[in-house]
Amino acid sequence: MNKIDFRDQIARNKRKSFFLMIIVSLVLVALGYVISMAFAPEYFFTIMIIAIIFTISYTWISYYNSDKIAVASVGAKEASKQTHSDYYRLVEGLTIASGLPMPKLYLMESNQINAFASGRDPKHAVICVTTGALQKLERRELEAVLAHELGHVANYDIRYITLVSVMVGMVAIISQIFLRSLWFGGGRNRDDKAGAIFMIIGIALAIIAPIVVTLVQLSISRKREYSADATSVKFTRNPNALIGALEKIKSEHTPEKKVSKAVAPLFFSNPFRNAGSTHPPIEERIKVLKAM
Amino acid sequence: MTVAWIIGGVVIVGAITVGYYNRFVVLGNRIDNSLSQINVQLKRRADLIPNLIETVKGYAKHEKGIMQEVTEARKALVGAKGLEKKMKANGVLENALGRLFAIAENYPQLKADTNFLELQRELSSTEDRVAYARQNYNDSILTYNNLCQKFPGVIFAGIFGRKAREYLQISEEDSKKPEVKF
Repeated sequence: MNKIDFRDQIARNKRKSFFLMIIVSLVLVALGYVISMAFAPEYFFTIMIIAIIFTISYTWISYYNSDKIAVASVGAKEASKQTHSDYYRLVEGLTIASGLPMPKLYLMESNQINAFASGRDPKHAVICVTTGALQKLERRELEAVLAHELGHVANYDIRYITLVSVMVGMVAIISQIFLRSLWFGGGRNRDDKAGAIFMIIGIALAIIAPIVVTLVQLSISRKREYSADATSVKFTRNPNALIGALEKIKSEHTPEKKVSKAVAPLFFSNPFRNAGSTHPPIEERIKVLKAM
Repeated sequence: MTVAWIIGGVVIVGAITVGYYNRFVVLGNRIDNSLSQINVQLKRRADLIPNLIETVKGYAKHEKGIMQEVTEARKALVGAKGLEKKMKANGVLENALGRLFAIAENYPQLKADTNFLELQRELSSTEDRVAYARQNYNDSILTYNNLCQKFPGVIFAGIFGRKAREYLQISEEDSKKPEVKF
């Protein structure tokens, strides 16, 4: 079980998160530059200053509120300790097994069995499960799923994945806005060459950006799912419960509608149930667990 | 030139030494912390018992034998000194509670009491927690011992006088099935 060194994974995730923030900030500033050159070079400095301030505050805010953003984007509500005392008890037990602080617990209305974790570090982590998971899973299976999510928390996957979803999403939105604004005759009074060139660069960037987004999302290695599975077993010492949960998910065929593609990597299993780019196939995960 | 090499070497060795020292301290503290977590969970468990006894009394007054047994097991747990003894007392309490809950099956009204159900759930989840705390304690010891016994950690362990620690074992008596008297 010690084949995956958790400390290495943690260091790698922290490093990747840091570089991601820098790269996305640079991309946002570059987009601001090109857009200002294309539309209004005379206001270049004003636009650039605004772009930089916007980028810094956006990075800042998304870093410190990543947990809330992820929870809000799927419309989850905080679970009450009275009505979901079992959910609380299971997570409390797991925090003892793992030595992690108690995360905030959320509930998401959905028939599908699923769960996700988010936040910037273990002290500010949230865990969210679907109501379907609470209903359909046995106590031990639910515990194994929650332990998998705590595994993401312990390995700092949550920081990286949430940052990818939030920041990379922003690039996509800005490039969309730029492309749409062309329809409304942006830069209509300009016939000089420079303007045209920047316009072309802008269009090219706006087209390339979403592709980069997809590439970055693919960089969210599937390995982290395996290592979270391994961490789950490390906490519960019960691979059969996790296998049971995965098998129940396998037999389900209800794709999730409310989840945006950007947050799919956060989930316990791929919410879209397609050939799964964000998660390794469930059969593979079960095979690895059975070998433990 | 050679002076620079020597200074560089000393700095590197110094940094490694400090790194190892701090690692020993951190891992040692983690063991202490997980040990106190075991105690917290055991205490929590003991604190739930009087409430349980009160509830059971309301429905099954004449089951004095088992209630006496649980109360005494609790007293033994509270009074136990040292981890080994505490774990042993906890095992005894666990057995007594198991029997109490088995007897409760004969009292439909007791079984339907929300207070009782809540306590039953709470007690079984504290049982999980004790197990998890114990697991975490042993995991912390494993990490610590790995550091103490692997090379080059073993050298630094010698310098700082750190020794590998003992795991918490489940004793023979604990794992034996209790005899059931009626």
